[in-house]
Amino acid sequence: MSNLSNKVQEVFNEPGCGTNQGKSEKERKKGCTKQLQPGAAAGGCAFDGAKIALQPITDVAHLVHGPTACEGNSWDNRGSKSSGPHLYRTSFTTDINEHDVVFGGEKHLYRSIKEIIEKYNPPAVFVYQTCVPAMIGDDIESVCKAASQKFGKPVIPVNSPGFVGPKNLGNKLAGEAMLDYVIGTEEPEFTTPYDINIIGEYNLSGELWQVKPLLDELGIRILACISGDARYHQVASSHRARAAMMVCSKAMINIARKMEERYSIPFFEGSFYGVSDMSESLRGIAKLLVGRGAPEELIGRTEAVVTREEARAWQRLAPYREHLQGKRVLLITGGVKSWSVVAALQEVGLEIVGTSVKKSTKEDKERIKEIMGDDAHMIDDMTPREMYKVLKEARADIMLSGGRTQFVALKAKMPWLDINQERHHAYAGYEGMVDLVHEIDKSLRNPVWEQVRRPAPWEQTVPAGGRAVRAA
Amino acid sequence: MSQNAEHVLDHFELFRGPEYKEMLAKKREQFEDPVPATEVERIREWTKTPEYREKNFGREALTINPAKACQPLGAVFAAAGFERTLPFVHGSQGCVAYYRSHFSRHFKEPTSCVSSSMTEDAAVFGGQNNMIDGLANAYNLYKPKMISVSTTCMAEVIGDDLNAFIKNSKEKGSVPLDFDVPFAHTPAFVGSHVTGYDNVMKGILEHFWDGKAGTVPKTERVPNESINFIGGFDGYTVGNLREVKRLLTLMGVEHTILADNSDTWDTPTDGEFRMYDGGTTLEEAANSVHAKATISMQEFCTEKTLNYISGRGQQVAAFNHPVGVAGTDKLLMEISRITGKPIPDSITKERGRLVDAIGDSSAHIHGKKFAIYGDPDLTLGLAGFLMELGAEPVHILSTNGGKLWEQRVKTLLASSPFGANCHAYAGKDLWHMRSLLFTEPVDFLIGNTYGKYLERDTGTPLIRIGFPIFDRHHHHRYPIWGYQGGLNVLVWILDKIFDEIDRSTNVPSKTDFSFDIIR
Repeated sequence: MSNLSNKVQEVFNEPGCGTNQGKSEKERKKGCTKQLQPGAAAGGCAFDGAKIALQPITDVAHLVHGPTACEGNSWDNRGSKSSGPHLYRTSFTTDINEHDVVFGGEKHLYRSIKEIIEKYNPPAVFVYQTCVPAMIGDDIESVCKAASQKFGKPVIPVNSPGFVGPKNLGNKLAGEAMLDYVIGTEEPEFTTPYDINIIGEYNLSGELWQVKPLLDELGIRILACISGDARYHQVASSHRARAAMMVCSKAMINIARKMEERYSIPFFEGSFYGVSDMSESLRGIAKLLVGRGAPEELIGRTEAVVTREEARAWQRLAPYREHLQGKRVLLITGGVKSWSVVAALQEVGLEIVGTSVKKSTKEDKERIKEIMGDDAHMIDDMTPREMYKVLKEARADIMLSGGRTQFVALKAKMPWLDINQERHHAYAGYEGMVDLVHEIDKSLRNPVWEQVRRPAPWEQTVPAGGRAVRAA
Repeated sequence: MSQNAEHVLDHFELFRGPEYKEMLAKKREQFEDPVPATEVERIREWTKTPEYREKNFGREALTINPAKACQPLGAVFAAAGFERTLPFVHGSQGCVAYYRSHFSRHFKEPTSCVSSSMTEDAAVFGGQNNMIDGLANAYNLYKPKMISVSTTCMAEVIGDDLNAFIKNSKEKGSVPLDFDVPFAHTPAFVGSHVTGYDNVMKGILEHFWDGKAGTVPKTERVPNESINFIGGFDGYTVGNLREVKRLLTLMGVEHTILADNSDTWDTPTDGEFRMYDGGTTLEEAANSVHAKATISMQEFCTEKTLNYISGRGQQVAAFNHPVGVAGTDKLLMEISRITGKPIPDSITKERGRLVDAIGDSSAHIHGKKFAIYGDPDLTLGLAGFLMELGAEPVHILSTNGGKLWEQRVKTLLASSPFGANCHAYAGKDLWHMRSLLFTEPVDFLIGNTYGKYLERDTGTPLIRIGFPIFDRHHHHRYPIWGYQGGLNVLVWILDKIFDEIDRSTNVPSKTDFSFDIIR
């Protein structure tokens, strides 16, 4: 455990994190996340965070060491897409029992790894620690080491049992596992001056594929995406990239920063959501690559693509502006960066009446203020009951949020659109923005919203917040 | 040979063997003077074109794959809803065998029904003797409490007079003089099964209310607080009528279901064969004249019946097979208005649950295009519900729909922006629908079992809602009326949508990149 505690402390000390740097020494020691409040509703655990961060690596066997529940509840639940192998969607668990709890589960784990290698022969096995084996003292690092040596195959321990903290911490611990055991262990077949890493992008609903054609056109190669649609070999050889873009700063900042430290790979933070953010990201990638020695002309080519794509996107968005102008949006997001979505929605004339900042950094909040003005309605950590109240008072036309708040929205009679990981539409890039606006437009026009806001016709009173939307 | 006595192959396997394949191919080549495969393909493709559609819609005489049944079927349906009532069809026995098998295949229950078994001599000399013998035998063999007489074409063509025949039969002692034998003329060459339902319902009410064919005095109507409820010809009658009874009971409304066949076609397996079960009692049928009002769930099944009832002084209200939130709202409010009983909170809650379910899933249905065919009222009810979900009906077809139906559909479509691109096709058949599906494709087709040929031909996924449903079991046990029923229809539609998404993403390493657990 001491090893793990050190790791957790190290992650808490992340110098790349603005929030962390703003704290006093004493505060920093306490850790970067709020203590969980017993009895209050909470999000996912560190195990979940680690699993969702790495599960998108598609050719790896992801083995969860623990009782059936941990894998049972996280099996294939994210919609991160693969362009090739599907092994990552097969559920592997040691499914430990009472005997293991009494006598230790290490042998059980070792035999499970052996069977995976015999039956599937994947390029690597990732072993995820969970609460119960962590508490009984199963040393997964040693087991993985022994298995690696015995089978001549990377067996990577991901030591992030649920009890160490929340999901976000798990994301980072997963990043640490990559840094400690994977990145830099293999070499790419060849390199180019145009090789980049994309960090913190999970290819949910295939969003990476909305961006990739543009990079392809510019001749920019994604050496590794960590971790969306990735192969083990790509992650292992990602240290040869010339530059990196970090997509979701909260989740994997440690990877980006440490790769800069260790391998001198410069990175910038960008977003694929929204027309101007997408353009900025392309420019950012080009700029970093040129800074690392790629031919200067890349900048000009990038500008040409940006100009063309923006014009095309605006042309396709224009018809929606008419419908959407002045429609009010409430944004409750977790993983998706609020400010980038805010900017994107404002581009089509939507008015943002409030946005959640639960997972936003101080910088994020500054950006939101910049975009929305000082009276920005920022909503911090919120219980469903409060959210319900806000929704009823917000008098918004639609709420964009993750699946978990869907039901709160619906009960508060608020039109709702899923923009978190379980959504089925991809919203990245220029293409994705058009799709998002199309979906918002569709949702606003769905007759059920008129229906939910109307009381049963035999009931006289109109509830607070009951504002009719037009059917068309 | 592929067949041998040790191991006899069944039809699934037999003709797939190489011997048969080869033999059939040779037979075709050498003896069938085959048209070249390319020519067959060319014609097949041609039938998908707008040019062919025009010719198809130019058909004047021929009906191909009609989506309707005949009057006598509806007649038996209505008669079967009364207590210990034996539907007696005056005409040829083969027709009756059809009705029985039709209902049994749909409801998975036996259907009691007899005929007067008219033969050639009866056709020449009239069927009176068949009526006399038939009533006597039916009465003695099957011990009914009432015999409801309707007709087939055969009796109608020769013009048999049911009223006189029944009277004469009674005089000859076939059945006791005071035995109830209501009747209705139900020729198959007029209207459809919904017409037959209407005629028999009216016949039975007239019998009880207007003095039993002149044998007793006409009943003097003394209005009370009760209401009558008529479901109409409905494949979901088992689930629907039980649901209606539940709702009316929750509202505390005193009611009589006329032709309650919910138990008739849903008897338990407990060792006892029930030739008759449940049904509206004859006493209830007789007393229903005193009701304050009669509500019909299907306007086109009760045109004459409601006209008659309203002539007897009752309020009448007709609906078009309402499905979904707004449809059920209207129905319940009308019941509430007539009876003065409020709609209880428990029902308001059910309503909220349906709205909730629609909200949860609306994104998947929104903008999907549908073709619907079926009985006039059902198509109206379903179209209304689809638009409520944000779906777009595109083709609505009813073989037994007429001008008034077409008008009703147009009015309904005009009430929502989601109906803007939809057309009503009255009197058209499923071969017309085939052309529509090829030339103006939709995402889903809603119809009865016969839609499976269209599904195979055009690739349009079929959602089975209607009558008959022969190839899927037990859906008739679920209501599609009330908020609970709306939920069922919603789920059936969603199931098909999700099945289709899975089907189009389930080939390993080809399409399964989007084969997801969560939809």
